Amino acid sequence: MAATLWLAGESALLPSRIQMAFTLATHVLLVPLGVALPSLTLLMEGIGLARKDPVALKIARRWSVVMAVQFAVGAVTGTILSFEFGLLWPRMMARFGAAMGIGFAVEGLAFFLEAIFIGIYLYGWERLQPRTHFLLGLALPPAGLLGTVSVLAANSFMNTPGGVKLISGQVTDVDVMAALFTRSLGYEFWHFLIAIYMTTGFIVASIYAVAWLRERRDHYQRLAFAVPFTVAAALTPVQLVIGDLSARALVADQPAKFAAMEITWTTRDHNPEVVGGLIDGSGVIHFGLSIPSLDSLLVGYSAGTVVPGLTSVAADARPSIVEANITHLAFDAMVGFGTAGALLAAWYFWVLVRRRHLPDSVWFYRLAALAGVGCYAAVEAGWVTTEVGRQPWIVYGLMRVADAVTGAPDSFVWTMLLTLVTVYALIAYFFIYLLVRLAARWKREDSLGTFAPEEGAPYGPRPGKFGRVGS
Amino acid sequence: MNDLLPNLVALVLLAAITAYSTAGGADFGAGIWDLLAGNGGRGPEARRLIDHAMAPVWEVNNVWLVFAIVLCWTGFPPLFYATFDRLYPLFALALIGLVLRGAFFAFRHIADNPRTHRTADLVFGLSSVLTPFFFAASLGAIASGRVASGSVLEASFSPMSISFGLVSVAATAFTGASFLVGDARRYGAPELVDYFRQRTAAAALVLIVIGTVALVVIGFQAPALFRSMLAGPGLPFAVTTMVLTPLVAFLLWRGIFRWYRVLTVAAVGSLVLAWGFGQAPYLLPGRLTIAQATAPESTQVALLAVTFVLVIVVVPSMALLYYLDQRGALGPTEA
Repeated sequence: MAATLWLAGESALLPSRIQMAFTLATHVLLVPLGVALPSLTLLMEGIGLARKDPVALKIARRWSVVMAVQFAVGAVTGTILSFEFGLLWPRMMARFGAAMGIGFAVEGLAFFLEAIFIGIYLYGWERLQPRTHFLLGLALPPAGLLGTVSVLAANSFMNTPGGVKLISGQVTDVDVMAALFTRSLGYEFWHFLIAIYMTTGFIVASIYAVAWLRERRDHYQRLAFAVPFTVAAALTPVQLVIGDLSARALVADQPAKFAAMEITWTTRDHNPEVVGGLIDGSGVIHFGLSIPSLDSLLVGYSAGTVVPGLTSVAADARPSIVEANITHLAFDAMVGFGTAGALLAAWYFWVLVRRRHLPDSVWFYRLAALAGVGCYAAVEAGWVTTEVGRQPWIVYGLMRVADAVTGAPDSFVWTMLLTLVTVYALIAYFFIYLLVRLAARWKREDSLGTFAPEEGAPYGPRPGKFGRVGS
Repeated sequence: MNDLLPNLVALVLLAAITAYSTAGGADFGAGIWDLLAGNGGRGPEARRLIDHAMAPVWEVNNVWLVFAIVLCWTGFPPLFYATFDRLYPLFALALIGLVLRGAFFAFRHIADNPRTHRTADLVFGLSSVLTPFFFAASLGAIASGRVASGSVLEASFSPMSISFGLVSVAATAFTGASFLVGDARRYGAPELVDYFRQRTAAAALVLIVIGTVALVVIGFQAPALFRSMLAGPGLPFAVTTMVLTPLVAFLLWRGIFRWYRVLTVAAVGSLVLAWGFGQAPYLLPGRLTIAQATAPESTQVALLAVTFVLVIVVVPSMALLYYLDQRGALGPTEA
């Protein structure tokens, strides 16, 4: 009986991992705009109110429509994720739900507030005094922040579990604060928070960089480009510092993950930094650029610093060779994209400070147009680094992924996965189609001089009269 | 051991399920009427009203669902494990219905071509029926006391789970129609007021019939629950449902537009509560009580604290949203 259960669990492992990876990879694309776009929108609205600039207000109002549509999609993909804890990993929640679930409860509260205040914000454009509208909107960034910190509390519990008393594998007591605020929460939170603000800034700015390349260079375009780009660019150097702190904290917190990120085979001093490259099963590194002693230098500021290798952890308790290589390449990709972003930011501020106007180089705008996509790629790569680098553990050191998986047959999970992929593809198509249509509608509005940004969006305030609805 | 905390958390869980059944029910119900509206007669008009009425609230309702599931795995991990380990087909089907519904609700707003528009309407309507059906079916499977016996399919698709599912479809149709009466009145569409008040009364009758059949099924399949619902803690709620459902039908049939929405919510809410209180103190009848499934005390305290904040913060902000929705535009843009 036990053996058949184990076999069934084993066979659903692969599709379960793929499904989780797929749905999380999708959701993580929606998170940045969901959490950070409200802040940028409020900033734009604040500028509009302070300078009495109707163009800034128009931009803010249009962004708020995108915010609502995007939030609705994120709400759907997020609901799926919460069910997947039961559909795919019921044993993890059976054992650790009492501890890591609290973060999710707080996230539920945050989700509620975001849903309601996005509604209020959207409705309020024509139903509230401008000042009241702005002040009520200020509830959105803290709600997003609360949601981010609580979800990351759950994720950092998986990376550096704490606050639970285990007796023969069962949680018998929970120290709520210690389970919420585990060791890795500090760096995970700041690293991710800054990442999503950067991503949002760059992705929004990239749209107006494209507009610049298409010869739209008016006040509207300049404002809508400069505000988000400045925010993102200013955060880029901060992110390099926080990212560095996070990586170094892993040396103590999750040595196997760190070893996988750097594809270090044996624990040693004078460890080189391998850029690119792959490791094989006997610890030999192929391809890539190896910079002598740099890894040791980066970790402890001295070439003599000893850094952990993969072999310092038992073979069945560390990432496999394939997983180590994925972690390493993802980590390098993230650092690469981050560094490219920092260079672009330096270019921007150089021009801004020296010449006191926005850059006017075609190449700058071409790169800026790519910066948003680059940021998304960096977020995905960072997420792959932390999740794949934790393998084979679902809760580091306490529970393996294979022990957490559902007892459902693999055919069931494969079917669910296939269905979800199809539905997600549809949603992605609808979502992009809708945004393109909204953009076209707004462009028409600009030439006609009318203004009703919410028209044509599926969510948001309804027109006062029922008769006006319908397409 | 002190049972107060776990009982309170169980009560919050039941409240979240009730909130989802009523608020979400109004939403799903509108989708059901959308499906049944057809293309002739007042169909297209009714569908426009439904679209109009649903847009602002649908995403808020999902939060109740997420909150219920979080309460379940945090407050009562063994319950969460037992239900998902055995009833995963039902949850997967409900979930896919939920996603399809969300996607096609958006899509039908942007579909230009009449044929794709009809397809979008159809998918949206069907998923509005299937989602509440499968969610409620999981509650029925739990209530049957047979979650752990037989195969997964037998546990998921039993007379109890199917009758709970059917009751929920009738109840959501009833709630949806009743709220659409209110929307039709607000937007000054008298023909649609008539259209939906007739449908509310009809749905109430269907609900009474299906509810009676379901009660008989419960009597055969889960006698302990049956006794508790009709002669125990579930009784006041069962009676409330039995009185209020026909009362709403009567009020709307006679065209008395007073209290009907509140009474609808009370009727459907009591239906859920009759099951919940009827089943107490069991989370899984005969197998797992609240006290047995409870997470450590500190976790329960944390959950209650979060709930307390939620009530304090969310209720007023929801009221504000509702107020803004009901109120027209300010100033010169008012048309």
